[in-house]
Formats: sequence, structure tokens, C-alpha cells
Amino acid sequence: MNQAMTAVIKKDFKGITSNRRLFASLLIVPLALMIILPSIFIFMIHFIPDDPDVQKLLDLIPRLDPSVSIELTVAGLIVNYILPVFFLIIPIMAASIMAASSFVGEKEKHTLETLLYSPLSAGQIFRAKVMASFLLSMTVSMISFLAMFAVVETEVFFLMGSLLLPDINWLIVLLLLSPSVSLIAITLIVRGSAKAQSVEESQQSAVFLIIPVLLLIVGQFSGVMLLNVWILLGLSILCAAAAWLLMQRALGKFTYEMLLR
Amino acid sequence: MQTVILENLSKTYPSGKQAVRQISLSLNSGEIYGFLGPNGAGKTTTVKLLTGMLTPSGGCCSVLGTDPALNPAKTHENMGVVTEHAQMYDNLTGFDNLIFYASVFGIASEEGKKRADTLLRQLGLWEAADQKLSAYSTGMRQRLSLARALIHRPKVLFLDEPTSGLDPESAQNVNHLIRELAENENVTIFLCTHQLRYAQEICTRFGLIENGRLLASGTLQELQAKTLPGALLKIRADHVPADLTLNRDTDGQYEIKIRSEEDIPAIIRRIVEAGGNIYSAAAKRPTLEDIYFSLTAQKKEEEV
Ligand SMILES: Nc1ncnc2c1ncn2[C@@H]1O[C@H](COP(=O)(O)OP(=O)(O)OP(=O)(O)O)[C@@H](O)[C@H]1O
Ligand SMILES: [Mg+2]
Repeated sequence: MNQAMTAVIKKDFKGITSNRRLFASLLIVPLALMIILPSIFIFMIHFIPDDPDVQKLLDLIPRLDPSVSIELTVAGLIVNYILPVFFLIIPIMAASIMAASSFVGEKEKHTLETLLYSPLSAGQIFRAKVMASFLLSMTVSMISFLAMFAVVETEVFFLMGSLLLPDINWLIVLLLLSPSVSLIAITLIVRGSAKAQSVEESQQSAVFLIIPVLLLIVGQFSGVMLLNVWILLGLSILCAAAAWLLMQRALGKFTYEMLLR
Repeated sequence: MQTVILENLSKTYPSGKQAVRQISLSLNSGEIYGFLGPNGAGKTTTVKLLTGMLTPSGGCCSVLGTDPALNPAKTHENMGVVTEHAQMYDNLTGFDNLIFYASVFGIASEEGKKRADTLLRQLGLWEAADQKLSAYSTGMRQRLSLARALIHRPKVLFLDEPTSGLDPESAQNVNHLIRELAENENVTIFLCTHQLRYAQEICTRFGLIENGRLLASGTLQELQAKTLPGALLKIRADHVPADLTLNRDTDGQYEIKIRSEEDIPAIIRRIVEAGGNIYSAAAKRPTLEDIYFSLTAQKKEEEV
């Protein structure tokens, strides 16, 4: 990583933080998914009416540790099984917004051509821009996770009188799955950037990534495939491999001639 | 020293359009080469080939000994490029833009600031240095582009229509800067334009292209000698006897084709001795425009 590539990364960061519209969309999705949504879940669990039907339903939930209250068990299931899947939307969204503005946005505003006249090779420009999108996506994800964790712990502590520990699922999601999906999102945008003429057009391709995530969410809720650690790990490794392959192919296609078309 | 060399350089776009056809020429350092031709002649395509943005479909080229198609990043180290499509960032100020490009070219931060400062002053942009680019006019952007292209002290400069949006004063300013670069710092300048009069003012040598073909190349004197030798003598006079059978142009001036300046005294003597009054006499050498039109006319005749 040389000075020139660092300069490009810094400039890309500044480009997104100084644009109020983009910055707002970077904030709103994490706020909704990681603060508002978990809070709604937790309040619902706590204030649920003591209806016998609901009670029967709750009794169906497997309780590993009978000393833990039902409330806390359900809250634990939500935090450790449902939220990680929702969480995946954040790196996808952040990576797509950043990649679209840094690849397609620069092409649209004719600033990419200027960058191509620099002593950076096309490959270096590609790597710097992917790195910028990746770093932003990871930063936003990490902050969202920490904020979610702080809010959920506080709420659980005051409402249910105990703390909830995040389990290993979160570790896998944070360290393996979300970096991989954000890289996949970036490559999809970059691939599309050859054809896409506007930022909005290229962001649409990220929708294709959200669909499997939505399926996962539905699967988790209906209990069809409550992700266990091994499935999650397998899925993460698969995504990481896909990300690497897609990245190599995108890098190969990233040439001056293609970019100026 | 030859800095830019084109050998049978050709480019056919995937659409089948032959934009550049077998162009061969070479530029020396300190030279301002005017690459002239009408819209769609292939000027921008040639610049893209020389800057490594396109790969030639035939022939080859080199800039400072390196083939831009094979090693574009290396050729860019010593090359500055101004084209209308190379824009800068609207969300940054003029100064910050230059600082950014300075660091991309590996210039240390202090040095970059000094260089940006100097260039902004030279191009009359000092007052606007802290304004965001979104508040810049077309002419200001064009001047900032030139500053950007010069930030790393390039040895070769490619300018594609550099003054098309400038007012006369700024244009003169820019011309002065370009001339200074060529004369004092020995920079090679490859300047594309379709404004022939502008080119004649600033360039030291010319290449005329049309439809991707190089029609002629050389200094103004060489081109004059090759295509339109001689000159046109224009005389404003009255009481000229009709038997001298002189042609008159639309302004009522007499026009006489001459081979060289040696012919002039004899003609003037003849008019005076015949009783005519001469108010002014001037020999007009063909301009670049005249040469250009005569060359394209020749080309058309050949094709017919
Ligand atoms: N990407 C492209 N694909 C196909 N044809 C192209 C492409 N770019 C340019 N051309 C064609 O190549 C020819 C030369 O274009 P070029 O842009 O080099 O002209 P130019 O001399 O710079 O003209 P101008 O004075 O208008 O800038 C034109 O006929 C143009 O239509
Ligand atoms: Mg052009």
C-alpha cells in the first residue's frame, strides 16, 4: 500500500462523508436494523400478555438451561440467531453505496479518467477503491454491532434483570461472513460499473445479494434451518471463496479501455 | 531528443470505425506540436493511444522511450494530460484537488502545497483556491486542469483543446505559460485543436489530420513551401490603367500572385510608372487555414 493508494482511499472516504444524502442512507439502515428492530423484539417479549395460548407456544421453545427464565431464553434466541442474519444487510448496503459512488460515481462525473492518467496502474486503482469500500463497510458494521450490543444489553438488563452474552455465531458473522458478503457486493457493483451509466442503476445489482439474506431471515424465523455454528461456518467459507474468485475476475476485467467506454 | 514517436499508429474501434490510420511522426523535446483536424478527425483517439488509454490495433508508439500500451503507469509518471473528459472533484476545493493529485503522483505533502500554490497563482486562480469546484466556471475548470496536469513537472504534455473555453486574457495567459514550459523547461507539448488560427499563434510545428490520416506535417514554412508556394500581393491603389489587367478582390484591392518577395518591386514600379497611386502594399503568405483547405481540397480531388 503506497502513498498514492492511501490518498485515493482517503479521498473516497471524504467523498462519502461530505455527501449528506449518502451519509444519511449509511446511518438509517443500521439504525433501523440494529437499534429499533431489536428494541421492538425485546419490548415485545417483555410486555407480552400472559395469555395461555402464547404460554403454550413459548413452552415449545427448547430450553437448554431450565434455570434461565423463558423471557431471557427467547431474547437470547433473537439476539444470537435472528439478528446476525439481519445484520448481514448492513455490510451489503454500506459496501454497495460506497462502491457505487466510488466506481460508477467517478465514471459518471468524469473523474475516473483523470485518475487513470496517474502513475497508479489500473490494478492499483482497483485495489485502492475496493479497499476503501471494504473499510467503510467494515467500519459501519462494527459500529452498528457495538451500538446494537450496548442498546440490547441495557434493555435486557433493566427489563429482565440479567445480561445476555452474544455467542460464537456473532464472531463468525463479524469476522468471516460479513467481510465476505461485503466483498461480493463490491465486486457485483464493479462488474456492473462497466455497463451501468448511473449510480442508482448500479446499486440495483446489490439487491440480488439482499434476496438470499431475506430467505435466510424467513428460514430463521420459521425455524426451518436454525443456523448452527457449523452451517454458519460452512456458509461463511463458501462466501469467502466466492468473494475471492469474483474479485480476481473483476480485477482482470478492470482495464483502461473498458473503463473509458 | 525525440520524446514522442508514432510508427504507423492505427486504431480501429470495435464498431469498425478506423479512427487513426497509419500515422507516423516524431516530436522533439521543447517543441509545441499542433495536431490539427476537424471534428472526428481522430485527434482525441491519438491522444488516448499515446497516453495508454487505448491499445493500438496496428503500429506502435512510445513516450520518453516507454510504450504507453505496455506500461501506462510508468509513462504517466512523466506525462501531463488535459482533456475535456478529465474532470476533478466537485466536492473539494481547487487547492485540495491539486493536493490530492500531488499525493497521487507521490509528491511529498509540503512540496505539493508549494507547487499547488505556485500553479494557482500562475494561472490566475489564486482567489478561487479555497472555493469548491462546484462553484467554478468552465474556464476556471480548464485552467485548474492545466495546473493539475503540471503538478508533477511532466516532461511531455498532452493538451486536447486546452483553451476552447477561455476568455482572450486567460487564453493569452495560458499560451504564455505553455510557451515558457517549452522554451525554459524543454517540455514537449502535443496540442490538439481545430482552431487553426490559435494553433498558428502558439505551435512551432504542425500535423494536419483528416479522417484518421496525416495529410502533412512540418513547420509553417515547410508546409507553405510544400502546398502553397509563393504569396499573394495585395495592393490598395487607384488610377491604375486598365491595360495592366490586374485582378481586384471584393474590397477593391488588387491581388497579384507572386512566387517570392523579389517580384514585388517590379510590380510596384510598373503601377507607379503607369500613373497609379499606391496607398498600401502587403505580401500575404498563406496561413495555416489556407494550407489546410488546399490540402483537403487536393485530397478530395484525388479521391474523385
Ligand atoms: N469509443 C468509440 N467507439 C467507436 N467510435 C469512436 C469512439 N470514439 C471515437 N470514435 C469515432 O472515431 C472518430 C475519431 O474520433 P475522435 O474523438 O478521435 O475525434 P477528434 O479529432 O478528437 O474530434 P473532436 O474535434 O470533435 O474532438 C470519430 O469518427 C468518432 O465517431
Ligand atoms: Mg476530441
